[in-house]
Amino acid sequence: MIGILGQAALSLAFVSAILATWFYYRAAQYGGEKNESIANALFFLKGAFTFFASGLLVYLIFTHQFQYYYVYNYTSSDLQNVYLWAAFYSGQEGSLLLWILSSFLVGLALIRWTSPTYRTPVMVFMGLTQVFLLSMVSGFPIPGWGDLGASPFRTLASEMPDSPVFQANPDFVPSEGSGLNDLLRSPWIIIHPPVIFLGFAMMTVPYSFALASLWKRKYHEWIHAALPWTLGANLCLLTAIFLGGYWAYVTLSFGGYWAWDPVENASLVPWIFGMAGIHAMLIQKKHASSHKASIIFAILAYVAVVYQTFLTRSGILGDSSVHSFVDLGLYNHLLLFMLVTALIGFGLLIYRYRELPEPKKESPVLSREFMMFSGAMVLFLAGLVIILGTSSPVIGRLFVANPTPPDPQFYNDWTLPFGVLIGILTVVTQYLWWKRHNAESLASVLIAPTLIASVITLAAVIWVDIRNIVWMIYLFAAVFAVAGNGLVMYQMLRNNPRRMGGTLTHVGFAILMIGFLGSGFDRPMVDTRTRDYNQAVMAGQVVDDDGFRVNQPVEFVELEKNEPKLIDGRYMVTFLDADITERNRPGEQEYEILFEDVESGRSFVMRPTVYPMLSNSSPGAVEWTVDPAVRTGWLADIFMYVAGSSLVDREIERMNRENPGQFQTVDQLGPQMAENDPDETVVRIRRGSTMQIGDYTMQFRNFIYIDEEELPENSIIGVRADLLLVHRETGDTIEIRPSYILASNEDGQYAFNPPVSFELPGPGADPDSVSGEQPDRQMYRQSDAPADTPALEGSVRFREVHPDSDEIELVLGGVEGQPERDWILLSAEHKPLISVVWLGTFLLMFGFSVSIIYRWADQKKREFLDRNGHQSKVTAKVERPSSAEAVQSEAIDSQSETIDN
Amino acid sequence: MRPRIIFGIIGIIIFTSLVMYNFSQSISAYVDFEQAAEVSGDRIHVIGTWDSTRPATFSSDTMTFTFYMTDESGNTRRVTYPRPKPNNFEQADQIVVIGEMRGNTFVSSDMLVKCPSKYNDANNPELSELQ
Repeated sequence: MIGILGQAALSLAFVSAILATWFYYRAAQYGGEKNESIANALFFLKGAFTFFASGLLVYLIFTHQFQYYYVYNYTSSDLQNVYLWAAFYSGQEGSLLLWILSSFLVGLALIRWTSPTYRTPVMVFMGLTQVFLLSMVSGFPIPGWGDLGASPFRTLASEMPDSPVFQANPDFVPSEGSGLNDLLRSPWIIIHPPVIFLGFAMMTVPYSFALASLWKRKYHEWIHAALPWTLGANLCLLTAIFLGGYWAYVTLSFGGYWAWDPVENASLVPWIFGMAGIHAMLIQKKHASSHKASIIFAILAYVAVVYQTFLTRSGILGDSSVHSFVDLGLYNHLLLFMLVTALIGFGLLIYRYRELPEPKKESPVLSREFMMFSGAMVLFLAGLVIILGTSSPVIGRLFVANPTPPDPQFYNDWTLPFGVLIGILTVVTQYLWWKRHNAESLASVLIAPTLIASVITLAAVIWVDIRNIVWMIYLFAAVFAVAGNGLVMYQMLRNNPRRMGGTLTHVGFAILMIGFLGSGFDRPMVDTRTRDYNQAVMAGQVVDDDGFRVNQPVEFVELEKNEPKLIDGRYMVTFLDADITERNRPGEQEYEILFEDVESGRSFVMRPTVYPMLSNSSPGAVEWTVDPAVRTGWLADIFMYVAGSSLVDREIERMNRENPGQFQTVDQLGPQMAENDPDETVVRIRRGSTMQIGDYTMQFRNFIYIDEEELPENSIIGVRADLLLVHRETGDTIEIRPSYILASNEDGQYAFNPPVSFELPGPGADPDSVSGEQPDRQMYRQSDAPADTPALEGSVRFREVHPDSDEIELVLGGVEGQPERDWILLSAEHKPLISVVWLGTFLLMFGFSVSIIYRWADQKKREFLDRNGHQSKVTAKVERPSSAEAVQSEAIDSQSETIDN
Repeated sequence: MRPRIIFGIIGIIIFTSLVMYNFSQSISAYVDFEQAAEVSGDRIHVIGTWDSTRPATFSSDTMTFTFYMTDESGNTRRVTYPRPKPNNFEQADQIVVIGEMRGNTFVSSDMLVKCPSKYNDANNPELSELQ
C-alpha cells in the first residue's frame, strides 16, 4: 500500500517536473508572469512529491518492511537508527533520490535569488536535469513497455517473480533483511554522500547559466551569478573528496587516501573542470574575454558529472572499481541522459559560436589573462587525462580486446607535470593579478620565492635524499608556489583580508602539492632482517626456488605475542593482546600493539581491529576485513593493520565447524604446527596472559609469594604460579599452583620445583563416553591407571622465572598439543606528510568559503546597483553601468580593483 | 594570431599522441595463463578461480602464499603471492592475479578477490536460504 503511494508520488513528481520544465520554457521563450508562476508552482509540487516519497521510503526502512526490495537489500532489523537513516541513500535508487532532493533545494535558491534576466531559462535546464534524474527512479508505468527506471518501491516479489519462494507463496515476506554493507557502517556515511550530491546539484547551476546565456544571448552577466555557485559546488566536491579520502584512509583498508578509483575520479574531474571554469569566469569578469572558455568549462563540468555517473552506475566498470554499482537496467537511461546534456550544451554553443564576443586584440604573454587562461587549460588537460584513464573499459578497446584499468602510475605520471605547471602559474598569475608588471619588474618580485624554493629544495634533496630529478622539479615548483602565494597572502592579510580567498586556495593547493610528494616516500615498517632482504630484492639479488628473480619486497612482520621486535630501526613493537571485544560490531576483534620509540623513549599503544563482514557474507563463508589504526604525526603518520592472526584463524575454524562442509580452509601457518606431540611441553607465559594449548586455555594469573613459615629450611625465597586451566569445550576449570623455591646449601643455590600432578579438567576419559574425535587422548593415560578411572592425569613443573620479562617457564606433561602460538602478521607503513595533505585541503576549503562570501556579496551589490543605476550613480564608489554596457565597464572595474595592492 | 594557432595545433597533436601512447602502454588485457606466457610485461591480469583440490600454503620463510588457480580457459598453474592469504580467499568466486608468468609459475604482485557479495549480485539475494 505504502509502496503504491510512494510509486504514485514519484510518478507525479516526474510528471510535474516535465510540466514545470515546459512552463519554464514558455516563460523563457514567450515571457509572461503567469507561465512562470505556474512553472514555479509545479516545481514546488515536484519537490513536495519527492520529499513525500522519500519520507515514505524512510518510513518503510524504519518499520523494516522487508517485502520491499530496497528495504530488504540495504537494511536489517538490528541496524542502529543512524544507519537506517543512511540506508535511505546507501543504494542506487535512494542515492538518486538524494541527488534529486539536493537539486530541488538548489532550484529553490535559484528561484529566490536569480535575477529575472536569467531566471526562467536557467530553470528550464535545472528542470530538464530533474526530469532525467526522476525518470530513473519514477517507476512511471508506460503502457506496452513497462515501468520507467528502477523505483525504490519495487517489491521483492516483482523483482524476482521466478524465485521458488514467491511461486509457492506470493505474499511471502522475509523476516529479516540482508543488512547494510559492513564497510558502510561507519559514521562517515552520514555526511559523505549528502555533501557529494549537494556538490553535483550545485554543479548544475553553472551549466544552466551558461546555456541560459547562450539562449538569451546575454553572454556576459551570467558569470557574476554563476561564480558563487560554481565555487560552492567545488567546495562541496572538495569536502566530499576529503571526507571520502579520510574515510578510506582511517577506517577502510585501502592503504591510502587516494587510489585513482573510478568513483573517486567521478568527483575529482568535475572539480577540476569547475576549477577551470572559475578561472575562465574570473578572466571574463576582469578582462571581458574568454567568454567561450567560461561557457565551455561550465558545460563540461556538468557533463563530466553525468558522464562519471554513467560510468559508475551503468555497470560498465563492474570489474575495475571497488565500489561501482551494478546495472539496474539504467544503462540506456544514463546513456541518454549523458548524450542529451552534452548535445544540448554543445549544440547551443555551436549554434551561437560565431556570435560570442571575441577579444579585440590578443593579450600579451605576460598578462594575467594569458597566464590564468594557461592555468585553466592545464587544469582542463589534467581533467581530460583522468577521464581517459577512467574510461579504459570503453576507450581501452581501441588497443586491446578486454582492457584492464590503467596502472595507477599512468595517473601519477601525468598529473605530476600538470601540478608543476599549475604551481608555477599560480605564483606568476597572482603577482600579475594584483599589480601590472613588465618582464623586469615581474622577475624582480619572483626573486624571493625562487630563492626560498631553491634553498628548501636543495636542503630537502640533501636531507631526505631525493634522487629522482622529476621529484626535485616537482618539489621546487611546490615550494615556489607556497612561497610565492604565501608572500602575496601576507600582503593581502594586511591590506584586504576580505578578498584573500583566491590567494588562500592557491597556498592550500601548493601545500597539497608538497603533501602529495610524501606518498612517494611511503615505506613498509619492517624488522632489520626483512629490510635487508628487501634491499637485496630491490638490487635483484634474490632468486626463488625455481631460479627466478624475486621482485616483491616483504611488507609485513610476524609478531609473536609478547616478543618485541624492532621495526623501521626505531620502534620496538610488541603484540600485547588480541581479544574479541565486539565494540562496534559482532565478532569484532581488537588488537593491542605497543610501539616504543627507541629514539625518544616515548611509547604508545595502537589498536587496529579485524572483523567478520557478517552481513556481506552467508554463514559458512564469512569474509573478513580490517580496520586500520593510524597514528597521526606532523611530519609522518604510522598506518597499520593486522593482515592475519592466530585469533582470526581460530575464529574461521570455529565458524567452519559450526557450518561444516561449505568451504575448505587454508591454514595460514600450517606447516609450522608440530605434528607429533611430545610428552612434555615447555611453555613460556607472561604474568596476566593466557595461552591456548590443545583443547585447553591456560591463564597465568599472578605470582603468589610463599610465607616464610611455609618454606622449607635453607630456602631463600619461594613463589607459586597461580595458574588456571580451562577445558574450552566444556568450560571445566582447575586451579594449579606449582611452586618454585630458591634454596641454598653448601654447594650454592638451587631451585626446588617439583612437578605438581592434577586431574585434567574436561570430559572423562571413560572409553565408552569418549566421542569420536577424542580417542587419541587415551595415549596419554598412564598405562597402569585403572580402566575405570574417569579423569586424565596432567602434571606441571615450574621450571624457571624470568623476572626481566615477567615470564615463567613451565613444563607441562600429559596435556595434549603444542601451545598454540599467538601471532599476528603486522602490516605497518610509514606515511610521510599525510597531515600536510589535510592541512592543504583545509586551507583550500577555507579559501573557497572566503571567496564564496566575497563573490556572493559582490553579486548582491552589483544587482543592487543595476537596479538603481539608472536613476542615481551617486551612491556607487565606482561607476556601475547598466547591464548592456557591462563589457566596457569591466575594464574600469578591473582597474579599480588593481589598486588594492 | 597565426603562430599561436600553429603552436597550439602542434602542441595538441604531440600531447594527444603522448597521452594515448602512454595510456595504451599502461592498460593491459585480461588473458589466460597460456597467453600470459607469451606476452611481456609484469602487470599481466589473469582471471580465474582457486583450484581447491591442490594445496594452498603460506610459507613464513619466504613470506609467500602459494596456490593453484584455474583460468577461464581451464589451464591450471601455480601462483605465488607475496603477502598473506587474503582473508576471504576461500570464498572468492573469482580471483584476478596481476603479475607475470615465470616458467610454469605465475608470480603475482597483486591479487583482487571478488566475493559472492550480494551487493554485486542483485539477482540472487539468498532468498532460497530464507524461510
